[in-house]
Amino acid sequence: MREALLLMAAWAVCTLAMAWLALAMDAHWHQALGRAHPLPPARRRALRTAGALGLAVSLGLCLLADHASMAALVWVLLLSASAASVAFTLSWRPHWLRALFGVVGY
Amino acid sequence: MLQNFRLSMTWLHTWFGLVLGFVLMVVFFFGSLSVFDREIDRWAIPQTRFEPQPMPSFDTLLLPGLRQVQPDPDEFAREAPRLIDTTQAPLPARESLEADEYWAYTTHRDPVLRMGVGFKVPNPKDPSAHNHIHGEVTIDPRSGTPLRADQLKIGSEFFYPLHYSLHLNWNSIGIYIVGFAALVMLAALVSGVVMHRKFFREFFTFRPKKHTQRSALDLHNLTGVLALPFHFFFAFTGLAIFVSFYFLPVAHTQLKPLHDHHEVMEAAATGLPHEAAGVPAGLASVDAMVQEAKRRWAARDMAGEVGFLVVSHVGDANSYVSVYRAGSDQVALVGQGVHFKASTGELLREDPPRSAVGSVNEFLTGLHLQHFEHWLLRWLYVLGGLMGCVCIASGFVFFVEKRKKQHARAGSAGSRVVDALAVTTVTGMLIATLSMLVANRLLPADLAGKGDWEQLAFWGSWLLAMAHAFVRSAPVAQARLNPAWREQCWAIAALAVAAVLLNGLTTGDHLLKTVFTETYWAVASMDLSLLLSAAVASFAARRLRARERLETAPAPAHRAAPGAGDAAHA
Repeated sequence: MREALLLMAAWAVCTLAMAWLALAMDAHWHQALGRAHPLPPARRRALRTAGALGLAVSLGLCLLADHASMAALVWVLLLSASAASVAFTLSWRPHWLRALFGVVGY
Repeated sequence: MLQNFRLSMTWLHTWFGLVLGFVLMVVFFFGSLSVFDREIDRWAIPQTRFEPQPMPSFDTLLLPGLRQVQPDPDEFAREAPRLIDTTQAPLPARESLEADEYWAYTTHRDPVLRMGVGFKVPNPKDPSAHNHIHGEVTIDPRSGTPLRADQLKIGSEFFYPLHYSLHLNWNSIGIYIVGFAALVMLAALVSGVVMHRKFFREFFTFRPKKHTQRSALDLHNLTGVLALPFHFFFAFTGLAIFVSFYFLPVAHTQLKPLHDHHEVMEAAATGLPHEAAGVPAGLASVDAMVQEAKRRWAARDMAGEVGFLVVSHVGDANSYVSVYRAGSDQVALVGQGVHFKASTGELLREDPPRSAVGSVNEFLTGLHLQHFEHWLLRWLYVLGGLMGCVCIASGFVFFVEKRKKQHARAGSAGSRVVDALAVTTVTGMLIATLSMLVANRLLPADLAGKGDWEQLAFWGSWLLAMAHAFVRSAPVAQARLNPAWREQCWAIAALAVAAVLLNGLTTGDHLLKTVFTETYWAVASMDLSLLLSAAVASFAARRLRARERLETAPAPAHRAAPGAGDAAHA
């Protein structure tokens, strides 16, 4: 049970981190917030930092759940799964990501 | 120079990708299914739907069963004349061969247990070779009752071999084709990254509302790039598993004396007898040896179940029993072998921890073959495999979309043929798979040779799907969509729903039961995945219908100009 919760948390954090990394890119920022809002450089840095930290945290959670060899494997594949879900959210429901940028202090 | 390099990479990626893409599609899809091969087996053979069992007693249950095993008739007919020197004596009767090796294998996902015998041939042509003809049986480990051999385990005996050998067994040519395709895939990954100029800028980009060519390329790049680590690991580790096989021609001729010498040296180093003594001897209690092995694992703080058990040189004074621990909690398959003298049960050897090279090799092969217990990782493998399928399929679509207008003007049939082949490999393959499952539920359980009929349903429906794809391909020659894509999507949806309904009707294990009242996830997940496939297929069919309507209507403006990025992908 503990492993399952840790892995779910790892997945959630990883997806969040990927979403922040996507929002740090002009094209995707505009997709989520509309053309009217430019992406300020400070916000871009904040999003990138949050994204990188999030990925590190999710690796940490994987390491808490499994042996190092297994954890590395799970984390690398979680990166793919999370990035794909963010990409498809951006294609069909970009406004869902609007909620996420606020966490990094809008 | 750089431009030239990029162009040559593009050429390589396009043409090798197209030709071997058809093979890779099969490898990726059936590889994804093989992740859950045991669960597919449960779905296909309803009397094996019970909980996974630990390795049962060898002395009272496995040994009597192993003594009943006969050499496989097909293997005997094929191998006996090749191995046995008939100038000394005529070919022996198949039933007269003596057992030389017993084995039994199980994992944390196996309700039933596979075990088998290696039979020694008399008067071998080459006495130093591994002169074995094999026989195998699958039993219910609770009672020892064997399963009928003509009941095909669709997951582990059909989909899984299809994944690595394409069922082309003549001179193992299928394994070589898959190996070559894996090698080309590594090249395609590298060349794809070189071609993809906006690798990072388009990392999260998929624009489904653009024209088909642009969306197909987006999807191709997205699924290729995001699952790049998966694609790379699996092509690489797949090659690593078969590397000794691919070098076999060399290994068997030039390197054979060295190999034989190495085996003898290894036997000397481990103290395990390489040769039989030629003196008959009995077999002590193997259950006692298993207890001792478990005690030793627990003492090393890695208590576990038995995964693999082998008795070598059966009935000989040099016979020994090897007990390996199941690798449910590690990436490597099995390990921590403990070896005993068969006649006395005396400990001969406990394998030391692997060397660094050995563990890397075990990690790589274990990563691919995945017998560990980690359900999330298993599903992530399926996801990675299916992303590979999407990558290849969207590659086909892009290839056709890019050329079909030009081909239509020039009157060339090129894109029409490629498109029909793409329909065959993408939707046709799914139709074949689902038809096999439907046939499995429709054919009576006691039909003799049921497995052969199921395979006929698989290949027959695939051929029909191919014929349908070609018959309906005329619109592609006018730069329009082949309606076979849509029609086969509907066929997929219908077959998938039929498979779920038939499973409920013929076995009584409908979803309400397998999810809620008597939870059995192997069958429930199979049914749920089938329903999900049906939903995706009918969604795709409706979208294809909309695109076809758009084509027959006057061309809207946004479909006229292809995106700027397409130029990179010739």
